[in-house]
This record gives sequence, structure tokens and C-alpha cells, in this order.
Amino acid sequence: MIDHPDPISLLEAMAKTLDEQVVPATSGGAKHQARVVANLCRIIARELATDDQPTQRDLADLLGCDGDLETLIRELDDRLRDGTAPDNTLPVLLADARRRAEIAKPGYTDA
Amino acid sequence: MLDPEQVRLDLSDLAGGPVTITGAASLGAQRSTLFVDYPVAGSSTAAVAQISTSVLQAVPTTLEAHILGLVHAAGVPVPEVLTAVDELPRIKLPAMVVTRVDGETVPRQILRSLPGPDAGHELARACGVAMARIHGIDPTLLPASLPSPTNDAFLATQTEVVNLLNEPRPVVRYAIEWLRQHPIADVNPVLVHGDFRNGNLAIDRGHLNAVLDWELTHRGDPMEDLAWFCLRTWRFGNDHAPAGGFGSLAALIEGYEQGGGTFRSEAFTWWSIARSVWWANGLASQGAAFSKGLTDLIVLAASGRRVPELEYDLLTLINQS
Repeated sequence: MIDHPDPISLLEAMAKTLDEQVVPATSGGAKHQARVVANLCRIIARELATDDQPTQRDLADLLGCDGDLETLIRELDDRLRDGTAPDNTLPVLLADARRRAEIAKPGYTDA
Repeated sequence: MLDPEQVRLDLSDLAGGPVTITGAASLGAQRSTLFVDYPVAGSSTAAVAQISTSVLQAVPTTLEAHILGLVHAAGVPVPEVLTAVDELPRIKLPAMVVTRVDGETVPRQILRSLPGPDAGHELARACGVAMARIHGIDPTLLPASLPSPTNDAFLATQTEVVNLLNEPRPVVRYAIEWLRQHPIADVNPVLVHGDFRNGNLAIDRGHLNAVLDWELTHRGDPMEDLAWFCLRTWRFGNDHAPAGGFGSLAALIEGYEQGGGTFRSEAFTWWSIARSVWWANGLASQGAAFSKGLTDLIVLAASGRRVPELEYDLLTLINQS
């Protein structure tokens, strides 16, 4: 069973409600926190809508092994810690950082 | 949370006369700033009490106060210290009371208040001059207890921080290793502010009235201050204006050299990456405090989600080097 509305629509609606209803009606710390929460809702919505398959593929190619995204990131982290990371690590990290920065702040990697 | 009545009693004892708390300027995670009326030579003076609640590595408040005296004598605009103590008896926290300085400190308000781009460049020049005066202070005048980490020690600390996070941070590990592999020449360490940026400046109609928040001051490479000041985080969306979001790098350097400083490009880049690592670690640590259940503050949780911005910036810098 899949219930509706879907998570992304809900998160966007939550952000909109906070921005349009709660932020104007509050002040000081509460206003600031409402803005922060709205922003987090949008970040999570973008994260859910973003495909992390390319990162997983890049990491699998780079490391020459398989696994889910978290396993592969841990593997790269371990190899960096041991000083045994592959030579072409930078472009893979940069592509993934670009993807994550766009989730955190759309347009951030345009500049 | 601070109990205002306990704070008032502590400060009154310190002043040897009644202190009134008139408002709160900010109640940040690192430091609470209160507006107070403070007795000075028998009359009540508008002042600011800063109560440090920081978990960040910081110098003792009395040392910070000593440094403020030194930089004031060197012509750096700073508030005057009325009193400083490393631990108030009731609240068991360090406090410093300083004179109130006019001027806007909220970054976006500062950016909005500038009359035009020329005013921004002029302000960047003034910041450059102030940094040069800080860095130009005779190092023999600096207290021996002032932290003086070498670049290697700085990197070792950052590795420790990543290890403590207990979550994979390959970008930061990569960057620390890159910095190790591309060392810059050590220079004679000078006094460094450590947190010289838009947000720690009091600006009045484009004029630099005061450089605030000296708790991260230390001895080090002067380019650390210029690099930190120009980090993208502190431009508040004005990416075209590296100097605090209001001025050009050229204007900052011009002021810096006019004040007697020497700009070193390679060290500037190294420190831009190094302080991005430091701040990525700082933000990730705030997020980790939430994940570990040490805090339920949503603003700290949100800090963890700002790490990708820093990681993207530092990898871009490495990629261009």
C-alpha cells in the first residue's frame, strides 16, 4: 500500500505553510526556527527527489567493488584514512559534493 | 539556559555596584550577549556583557581581554574592556563586559545598508588595514599562553575531529591529506584574530566601528585571517564580492598592504581550504551533537546539512590549484 499525499509533496507543503503562515505570525527565535525548519523540509524533499545512483556507480567503479551507497562511502573513507585511496578520487568526490550541495542549496554550484 | 537573575547578581558583584540587564542582543549557541547598564566610576554606562557558553576551542576570557587591550593600542577599532573573568561564581561561566559600540552587526543588514559598491570596497580596504595592524603587533608582546599551533598541528587536530565524528567524511579526509601533501612555508607566527568575518564586525554606514569576538585569537599565519574573511560562507549570497560579500579581494589586499601587510597568494589558498575543512568539521560536529542526542536544537541539526556547501567549495579550490 502506498498512502498519499506522497512524502515530497507533503514536505513541500509543510515548508510552504511554515513560510507563508508561521513565519509572518511569529518573531524572534520562533520566527528563525520556523525558517530553519521550512528550509530543512525543502532540503529533504530535494534529497528524496535526487537520484544517487550515479554516485553509487562512480564509487563502485573507483573502488572496484560493489555495495550500497553507504557501504561504498565507508570503504572510500577507510581507504583515505589508510592512505590507499585511488588516484582519481577527486573527480568522484567533486561530482558527489556538487550533487549534495545542490540538495542543500539549489544553484550553489552555478557560481 | 542562562538564569538572568543569577547573571545579574554575578555581574553586580563583579562591578561592585548594581548592574541592570536591559536586553538580550543574541542568545547564541556559543555566546550570550546581553545589553547591560554597568557602573563605571560611579555612573551607569551602556555596556555589553558576553557570557561564553562555547564548546568550541577558545582562549580564556581574561586572555581575550588582554589581547583586546593590545590591539586597541595598535589602532584596531575594538570595544573597550570594562571587566573580564574566567568564571562567574554563580553561573560558573566566563564573562566579559565591554563598552557598547554603535553599528550594525547582522551581515545581511550590513550588506543592505551600504550605499553602493564603492562603499563596499572602501569597507573591505578598512578591514584590510585592521588586519594588517593586528598582524603587525610585535610578537614579543604576545602572552606566552596564547595558542600557537603549527600547520601540521592544525591538520592533526582536524583529523582528530573527523575521527571523533564517527561518520564517514571522505571529502574532509581527502582535503586534509591534500593540505599535508602541499605544505606552505612556515612564517614567523603573528597575532591572528581567528574569526575576522562579516558577522563579527560592527559597521555604521559603511564605517568599520569595531572588530568583535576575539575568542578564537591565536598566533599563526596572517593569511589565515584573510582567507577566512573571504570564505564563500561569509559572503551571504554575494558571491561576486569575496571580501565579506561587500568588497573585492583587490580592495582587501590594497588595504592590507597599505597597513603594512604582505599578501601571499599560495598561503591564502592553503588557508582557504584549511579553514573550509575547519568549518565543515565545525558544522558536522554541531549536526553530530544532534544525532548523538546531546542537543535537540533544530538549528544545530540544520548545521549538519550545510556541510556539503563547504565540501563543494574546498574541492573546487583543490581542483583549481
